[in-house]
Amino acid sequence: MTIGPSAFLGLAAVLFALGLYGAVARRSAVMVLMSLELMAVAVNLNMVALSRFVTPTEMTGQFFAIFTMVVSAAEIGLGLALVLAIYRQTRSIELSSIDSLKG
Amino acid sequence: MSESVNGVAFVILAFASIGGAVGMLTTRNIIHAAFWLLEVMVAVGGLYLLLSAEFLAVVQILIYAGAVSVLMLFVIMLTLRRREDSVRPVEVSIGGGILVAVFGTVMYVAIARYGDRVGEMPIVVPDTAALGELLFTQWALPFEVASLVLLVALVGAVWWSREGDDR
Amino acid sequence: MAYVALIPLLPALAFAVMAPLSRVVRNRVRWLGVAGVGGALLLSLVAFASVWPGGHEGEAAYHASWPIAQVGGVDLSLGILLDPLAAIMLLVVTIVGVCVQVYSLGYMHRDERVGWYFAVLTLFTAAMLALVLSDNFLMFYMAWEVMGLCSYLLIGFWHEQEAPRKASQKAFLTTRVGDVGFAIGLAIMYATVGSFDFDVVLGSAGAWAPGVATAVALLLLFGAMGKSAQVPLHVWLPDAMAGPTPASALIHAATMVAAGVFLVARALPIFEASGVALTVTMAVGAITALLGGLLAAVQHDVKKVLAYSTISQLGYMFLAIGAGGAIAGMFHLVTHAFFKSLLFLGAGVIIHAAHTQDMREMGGLARHLPVTSVTFGIGALALAGIFPFSGFWSKDEILYAVWNDGHYVTFAVALMAAFVTAFYVARLWFRVFTGPVQTENLAEGHTEMLVPMGVLAAITAVIGLTAPRFSEFLGHAGHWPDPAMAVSSSVVALSGLALGWWAYGRTRLVLNTRSLKERSGHAYTVLTQKYYFDVTYEHFIIRPYMRAAESLSRFDGSAIDGAVNGAAGAWKRLTEVAWSFDGRVIDGFVNGVARAARASGGALRRIQAGRVQTYQRYVLGALVLLMLWIVVKGA
Repeated sequence: MTIGPSAFLGLAAVLFALGLYGAVARRSAVMVLMSLELMAVAVNLNMVALSRFVTPTEMTGQFFAIFTMVVSAAEIGLGLALVLAIYRQTRSIELSSIDSLKG
Repeated sequence: MSESVNGVAFVILAFASIGGAVGMLTTRNIIHAAFWLLEVMVAVGGLYLLLSAEFLAVVQILIYAGAVSVLMLFVIMLTLRRREDSVRPVEVSIGGGILVAVFGTVMYVAIARYGDRVGEMPIVVPDTAALGELLFTQWALPFEVASLVLLVALVGAVWWSREGDDR
Repeated sequence: MAYVALIPLLPALAFAVMAPLSRVVRNRVRWLGVAGVGGALLLSLVAFASVWPGGHEGEAAYHASWPIAQVGGVDLSLGILLDPLAAIMLLVVTIVGVCVQVYSLGYMHRDERVGWYFAVLTLFTAAMLALVLSDNFLMFYMAWEVMGLCSYLLIGFWHEQEAPRKASQKAFLTTRVGDVGFAIGLAIMYATVGSFDFDVVLGSAGAWAPGVATAVALLLLFGAMGKSAQVPLHVWLPDAMAGPTPASALIHAATMVAAGVFLVARALPIFEASGVALTVTMAVGAITALLGGLLAAVQHDVKKVLAYSTISQLGYMFLAIGAGGAIAGMFHLVTHAFFKSLLFLGAGVIIHAAHTQDMREMGGLARHLPVTSVTFGIGALALAGIFPFSGFWSKDEILYAVWNDGHYVTFAVALMAAFVTAFYVARLWFRVFTGPVQTENLAEGHTEMLVPMGVLAAITAVIGLTAPRFSEFLGHAGHWPDPAMAVSSSVVALSGLALGWWAYGRTRLVLNTRSLKERSGHAYTVLTQKYYFDVTYEHFIIRPYMRAAESLSRFDGSAIDGAVNGAAGAWKRLTEVAWSFDGRVIDGFVNGVARAARASGGALRRIQAGRVQTYQRYVLGALVLLMLWIVVKGA
């Protein structure tokens, strides 16, 4: 059995779709952040796989994945700090309770 | 394990990662969800190994499985007033389902159309030592910028999450 | 022969199916675990039959390996190595595993998390089988760690209570100390040979520098000592008895703790290349055998008696291997696995019936638990080393090997340990099964519990007779026990039993034990304090560690937090500077833009209700639409 690029792309698409669903459907801010992480991981998987198949020596995809990881680590740190800050104000982490963002 | 991807290992890891993601979305207990996410991260780390991206595999385990999951659990812990709060009702979103269905179709079409543009796996194997060298030569500037991003994020996170009324 | 790979995979699959299920469904499908291990048993029988007639000089009957990954130039592979040693261990693990699983169906049926119990038990069996079949040290180590995890989960199975929780942490941390040694040993080994394969490593061990061989062997031994609860890393095993009794039978008596012995037996060429390491192994084993036996003689908790007895018997196995009787040690491992799991399963029935683990509150159970008293008696006689039960044969082989190799001091220690063993066995049996009845509502165990005990008792009764064939199978000349040796060991064992009967079986006066206690005086205190091992660890390791951790955390609070706060403060000042610039120059421009934006914003206001989740959905929807457009348009 040979595993081609399509298998990895398909797997990443499924993971991304699951993350997408979670980000839309769940109402807890922490759960949404987790879903976002899932999507980031799916993207990374795509890049690493394509890097392996297309640029095995330059490893461009791997570098992109490294920087994506940096960004998503920063994102998760800030996101969770925000969740904590919001929790302190509203005593809740439900996204539905964050509704003051209007002009 | 270099010139091709082991089919059995791939199937196992794919099953584990998708299963973990489904588990994360279907469990009602938010703490369990965090552990399911951890499982996905570890499985994806295994997939990186299959792709000969050893450095990324290790970083994946360190950052996602090690740091991010622990951070998640900490926040869950800090924002739960009672143990029972961790169990939430099942949330079903029809809009989300439609969105995912559209996305899935798009992806299916895209992969079916363009998936075979990328050929078989090249014989050349990515080399971890070369990765390190490139990271500090060709990619040195982005690397430094990334460290700045992390520093700013660190300061910002501390700023936001600290206790205090002067905000 | 590829079916051999299925032996660990079947139980692993059963676990993989059970683990993600919900608690209710998992409880209902607990038979899956039994089925998985049962399938492994059948396959093990087939595998054993394929090895059996050959048994040629310990040659491998089947060897296959599958690469899984390459990390930085290092090939990682999973491999299956079926040789006589592995075939025997397969049978032991699966037979005891099936017995314990069937027994658990009766023992655990009222527990509300019974499904999880069976899942972990099955995962444990899978890991042990993988360990037995592994063809390289890395896979061995992985399986080793999975077993450690399962042990942790099962000891802490009733984690709502304080004692099991603490015991599980203690077990995990103590074995971890040993595992660190194991890991360092593996690293040195890899640095020396550049491979983890048994073939390569063990084949070249003879050519290593003696210092390297000694270092690797001692580090491996350290790991084995942690897993097999040898002095001074034995402290976790008695506490581990806080877990469910059948789990103790499988993990903390019969199989996992024997993994350390198996490791030493597998890595024997390294130990032989060192020489010093063999002597250390023997010394550790001898000390443990005697100390463990003495401790078992003063415990009142039925399970703890058996736990210390296990420590002592494992010491016997180390002693045998160290003295050059590896075959005798492995044979003792096999017989011990059967009779000790039998004893533990019996202890489970006793505890169920008497509703206590303290044997001072028991007595006269023989009349009410006839089946248990007989099977437990068989196990006890085997443990004491009485002809013709299995323990007699294996203990005899060990004594013979030690004597033949000229370790007379060790021989004396081993005989003393045998005497003490017989004594505490007699103490246990007479205390529990004879004398006045102290509890009411006694009832024999369920059929599911009694049948496995019967099976194990039958094996215990007859397996000793295979002693000569066992050696031949492992590639050495077989022999029947030396008559002089057999007589002397039997005399020792019988006198131990007699002393036990004299002290505990004759009459049931509590006075008796008290007088014994008074006569031994100071020694008794030392024994009941478990030689102060736990106290010493508490004082010299755990407390200083906690103090160090506290001061580190203070440092963290003052220095590191200070640095972070300082950085944040600097950032704040920077933003203030930016702010004043912002106010004068940029605002003017921005205000103009804002006025324009507000005009258009008014129109869009209806879709901006200020709810974050709504916004997020728009963003994601737009993202998907964008993708749709890209794909449709084509690249």
